[in-house]
Amino acid sequence: MNSLLRSVIAPVFGPLSIILAWQYLVPIAGIPPYILPTPTGIAGALANQWPLFADNVWTTVIEAIAGFLIGNLAAVLMAVVFVYSAPIRAAYFPVVLFFNTIPVLALAPIIILIFGLGLTPKIIVAAVICFFPTLVNMIRGLDSASSNERELLHILSATPWDNFWRLRLPRSLPMLFSSLRIATATAVIGAIVGEWIGSDKGLGALIIQATYNYQSDRLYGAIVLSSGLSIALFLIVVAVEKLVLRHE
Amino acid sequence: MNAIETKALNIGYRGPKGDQTVLSGVDLSIADGEFLTILGPSGCGKSTLLRVVADLLEPLAGDISVLGEDPSVIRSRRQVGFVFQESTLLPWRTVEANIELPVQVGRGRTGVRDSDRKRVKDLLEMLGIAGLEKRYPKQLSGGQRQRVAIARALFSEPRILLMDEPFGALDEITRDRLNEELLDVWRRTGTTILFVTHSIMEAVYLGQRVMVLGANPGRVMALRDLKGQKTPDNRCAREDPAIVNLMSELRKTLEQVS
Repeated sequence: MNSLLRSVIAPVFGPLSIILAWQYLVPIAGIPPYILPTPTGIAGALANQWPLFADNVWTTVIEAIAGFLIGNLAAVLMAVVFVYSAPIRAAYFPVVLFFNTIPVLALAPIIILIFGLGLTPKIIVAAVICFFPTLVNMIRGLDSASSNERELLHILSATPWDNFWRLRLPRSLPMLFSSLRIATATAVIGAIVGEWIGSDKGLGALIIQATYNYQSDRLYGAIVLSSGLSIALFLIVVAVEKLVLRHE
Repeated sequence: MNAIETKALNIGYRGPKGDQTVLSGVDLSIADGEFLTILGPSGCGKSTLLRVVADLLEPLAGDISVLGEDPSVIRSRRQVGFVFQESTLLPWRTVEANIELPVQVGRGRTGVRDSDRKRVKDLLEMLGIAGLEKRYPKQLSGGQRQRVAIARALFSEPRILLMDEPFGALDEITRDRLNEELLDVWRRTGTTILFVTHSIMEAVYLGQRVMVLGANPGRVMALRDLKGQKTPDNRCAREDPAIVNLMSELRKTLEQVS
């Protein structure tokens, strides 16, 4: 009974209590819907204006997924280069570190200046924002084999190729996946920030337009969809992780 | 030909601030098929000696030959097996895939053939863990994991088996059982075994000879032949007075050097 309470009832009751309070207390408190619409109001907007939302969601989905794939792939490849070449790592890791300190809000306009207003600059912003945590995690992961494991492969006269594919890469996967989980949320944020700066399409553009026009139900609908998108990407990564790391 | 022969061997680590000797002046002849146990306090270079034999470390000075060759030659021929204190099984591989690792790496890799599958089965049977082929290391007990590590070390039929405190992390009952099984494996395969341990009981029970090392500086303190106290196939009773005497004698030697 206790475990049922903890695993099912409590996690359902918590959010539900807040949604109910939001639904019924907000109008009683006299807060007008253009400041804070009720949950049913938001749901209604999502249903009524679905073609508009769907159109914009797709743009953001494509940008976030493409940015996620490109950013993480680039980070993994660069981690491999850094791990195998100490001089390159010493020369360029500080550069990467410097780029990571530039706020994404400052970087986004530059990227848009260079790449224009299409999908490309948003994909790049999403990729850039995913890149650094995965790079750091992947470097640590590739270096995480124990000295006994390395000795074992040496005794078996393993080639450098074996060392990479049979030891270092599989060893790095748990750390890679923990940063991929985080990257699901940041990729969506990156795409939306890119859309804010210069775009007429996507959830970010919808958020900006709705805010200027006091269309609060539309604004909140866009927020619900963007967090839904992050959660969906997160669940996909978790499913892939379960499949790949099923020995854990 | 002796399995291992050393002359004035100095071992340790090369560092930027000069070499750091761990164990010096080792003159040792280990006969083919011998079971030698190595006993000593921490820091005496027991594990380092095994690493030199396995070609994981170059000696600082002196000579070593393994089966009449340089250790690197023997290593590349897969004639040396190594068992670590930690089982060092790769967690993403099943038991079977861990044991087959030797045919999946190196320039001479052949890939897994039917005969390899058969050999894995035989090894698991010999070590009393038949049927665990498809398990992952996480699903095994400490004793089972160490048995798998031994199976992997034996997979390439090595002439020399190096064991670095392999049962140090196990409970006493499991350890005694694995000692028994290891002696069986040794009798069946005729492999030369160098076995490092902290336990006097284990050293005496397993070894045909016991080498006692001292620390600071690391050196060979004693090399005791136990063949007189044991049957020709290296059996003894743990409570035999001669064995008990021997153990207290070794304990005294160890207390002096620790």
